[in-house]
Amino acid sequence: MKSLFKIAIITLVTLITSFCKNPTSDTEPNGDNQASNRKLMLTHLADEIVIPSYAKFKTKLDSFNIQINTFADSPNESNLIALRNSWIHTYNEWQKVELFDFGPANSISLRRFINIYPANPTTIRENILNKDANLEFSSNETAQGFPAFDYLINGYANTDAEIVTLYASNSDTIAPKRIAYLKKIAAQMTNKFNQTYTTWTSSYRNNFISNSSISIDGSTSQMINGFILNYERYIRSGKIGIPSAALMGTKNPLLVEAFYKKDISKKLALTAHQASVDFFNGKSVKTGIEGFSIKSYLNGIDAKDSKTGKLLTETLNEQFNIVNSKLNGLSDNFSDIVTNDNQKLIDTHDQFQVAVRMLKVDMTSAMSIIINYADGDGD
Amino acid sequence: MSILLLLNTDNRHSTTENSLLKLIFSNNSYFHKLSSITPLVVFRIAFGIMLFLSTVRFWANGWIESLYIKPKYFFNFYGFEFVKPLGNYTYMLFVICAISAILVSIGYYYRIAIISLFLSFTYIELIDKTTYLNHYYFVSMVCLLMIFLPANAYFSLDSYFKKVKKCFTIPSWYLDALKFLVCILYFYAGIAKINEDWLLHALPLKIWLPARNDMPIIGFLFNYQETAFAFSWIGCIYDILIPFLLWNRFTRIYAYFAVIIFHALTSMLFPIGMFPYIMIVTALVFFSSDFHFKILQIIARVFNFKTEILSKDGIFVGSFVKEKAIQYFLLLFFTFQLLVPFRYLLYPGKLFWTEEGFRFSWRVMLIEKAGYAQFTIKDSKTEKRIVVDNSEFLTPFQEKMMSTQPDMILQYAHILRDYYSKNGFTEPKVFVDSYVALNGETGKPLIDPKVDLAKEQESFKHKKWILLY
Repeated sequence: MKSLFKIAIITLVTLITSFCKNPTSDTEPNGDNQASNRKLMLTHLADEIVIPSYAKFKTKLDSFNIQINTFADSPNESNLIALRNSWIHTYNEWQKVELFDFGPANSISLRRFINIYPANPTTIRENILNKDANLEFSSNETAQGFPAFDYLINGYANTDAEIVTLYASNSDTIAPKRIAYLKKIAAQMTNKFNQTYTTWTSSYRNNFISNSSISIDGSTSQMINGFILNYERYIRSGKIGIPSAALMGTKNPLLVEAFYKKDISKKLALTAHQASVDFFNGKSVKTGIEGFSIKSYLNGIDAKDSKTGKLLTETLNEQFNIVNSKLNGLSDNFSDIVTNDNQKLIDTHDQFQVAVRMLKVDMTSAMSIIINYADGDGD
Repeated sequence: MSILLLLNTDNRHSTTENSLLKLIFSNNSYFHKLSSITPLVVFRIAFGIMLFLSTVRFWANGWIESLYIKPKYFFNFYGFEFVKPLGNYTYMLFVICAISAILVSIGYYYRIAIISLFLSFTYIELIDKTTYLNHYYFVSMVCLLMIFLPANAYFSLDSYFKKVKKCFTIPSWYLDALKFLVCILYFYAGIAKINEDWLLHALPLKIWLPARNDMPIIGFLFNYQETAFAFSWIGCIYDILIPFLLWNRFTRIYAYFAVIIFHALTSMLFPIGMFPYIMIVTALVFFSSDFHFKILQIIARVFNFKTEILSKDGIFVGSFVKEKAIQYFLLLFFTFQLLVPFRYLLYPGKLFWTEEGFRFSWRVMLIEKAGYAQFTIKDSKTEKRIVVDNSEFLTPFQEKMMSTQPDMILQYAHILRDYYSKNGFTEPKVFVDSYVALNGETGKPLIDPKVDLAKEQESFKHKKWILLY
């Protein structure tokens, strides 16, 4: 018994002394160590995905602003179509950055100013008349961002000609106010986004990388929480679950994303899902090549089913593929599906659900990360 | 080196000539052995201070609010349903607890103080099983034990004001009772680690350690599975052997250093609060009475106490009936302590999965478990159904604990049943879609999704609706 104890003590002492001998270990080119190095993961995610994706979105958003000004200066049908196309491209590009719901985007609640739907036409019309309407108020979340544009340029009237009239008519005293509101919500979006983007490039990038801890305030934990939250609540529920009432309530075709444009809800959902998958796999936005990522980290810490030995990342990617093919099997117009073929959406939702469980339970458990976003009050 | 000597000297004057006679002529000589009271006294002082600090820390962290006032619903322990949350009066409970802890420490109105400490602390722990921790249970049990020990007979305000007779010498068994409880804790924590996951797969340490690989200096080691295996085996051997090594005066000093290293390491690695410090202080109780006498001397010098406070006179003599009663109580107490951790053998299935008989058994840091539980309420008469948003009923912490523990899932199902039967549902049925991952294995359902939990009852019987592993 005593000798066993001595062995234990000696082992402990050896361990501790060996801890102290190895201060340069960080730079050792050991494959295993690198894969499980969270700083490398965070660096790759920041430099190869988050920041370049924001940069791409910024380009799209800038040209969207130009199209708005062009339309504002001369509201006609061809400018409306150009604006609409730009809106589609920019909205689609947004799907590739909405998932970065951590750091600056999370602290200013960027999503609230860009993509809360369904839009509320009544509030939008009230705000048009009231030039002092405060877009910071949560009551105005549904009167701004891409969904408000959806209403203003796609659903405000039945035909393009009628829509143009609403902005161009000389006899209509509200027309200039409508133009002003387009500019106002575009400015709000741009302003909020630029604030996020600048914070990332100026200071947050380094904080993000250095504070690699898995404790609640560490960036690994915040990144994972934001990523899963977006996947669960804003892709699964927002785009599929809520309109189809897969979980509760009554199905409602009005609740789909881009309701007024009708035919792009599938496109947006696919883009958003693919962006999440690419982020998970660390696919660089610049080169298209995979780098240090949640996937390589999970592999690095040897996250696999302890019974079958199958890598968790393989299981997850298989499930992502299933979800993807379910999404691909849907038709373009989700509000049509809700009305006519809702079971298809519910089936898709069920596959999303399987992926959500794996992310929320298997993945966070393997990473020792605590999901803390259930707390609605945010304290 | 002087510290080493100080720690290692053992005291042997404890048995007086008088008691030697008793030893020889008595049938149950063990109960007539005497020893110095000093280890018990130092423990009383330190334990009181530790509990006072724990209470203050709890308050300062805002946990009284977030754990005991903010939640809308609480998870009672089976059989203790009479324990109710106290709302804002919870603060009063903590005040009582803190004051009692101080009184215990200084030995003033000791008997009342330790009873009130036991009751207030235990009450707090019984409010919500979400917050259950083995070390809280340990504190409750120590308090219960301390009620029956003459810890205020020396170096206390009670003895100073002559409310009790000052005694330097007490029957050894009082002291041994305390040591024995500590031994049970370590030993049982050790044998709980003798299982396939812990020893053969280094689980859950294999999962937990890499997550700390950015710790300064030693972090990189956690990338190696060998480290997890070393920690698992050393941890298991340590827990099993440490009681014996602390009890034996030749190995005690090494054992104590091991205690310090072990608990310091675990406190750096895992968020386990005051527990490591409480154990580091508690393990001192194994040291000699001379060692503890020196501690008392230091305290006396620092506070400028009169020297006669440290005179080594007085032998504690309890009334025969009272001593017998206490001895029978201890027999009962320790029988309970020794048997209860094995109650899991009465249940089918894998303990870590069902958690039937998991608590109150010194199973610490044994499993990595995460879960997800989604409840559906169905009306008995109509097609009406609703999927529950757990955050409307539970705090994130409660939801996290509930989603992996069947008895809490049942309690929550009943909370939902009662709520929805008052809110538009006729005899609501409650079903759960659960998904639990244990020790790195891919998740699977924990509860039979076809069973209406509204109709199931809590009991000590096996819960048949838990899907076996």
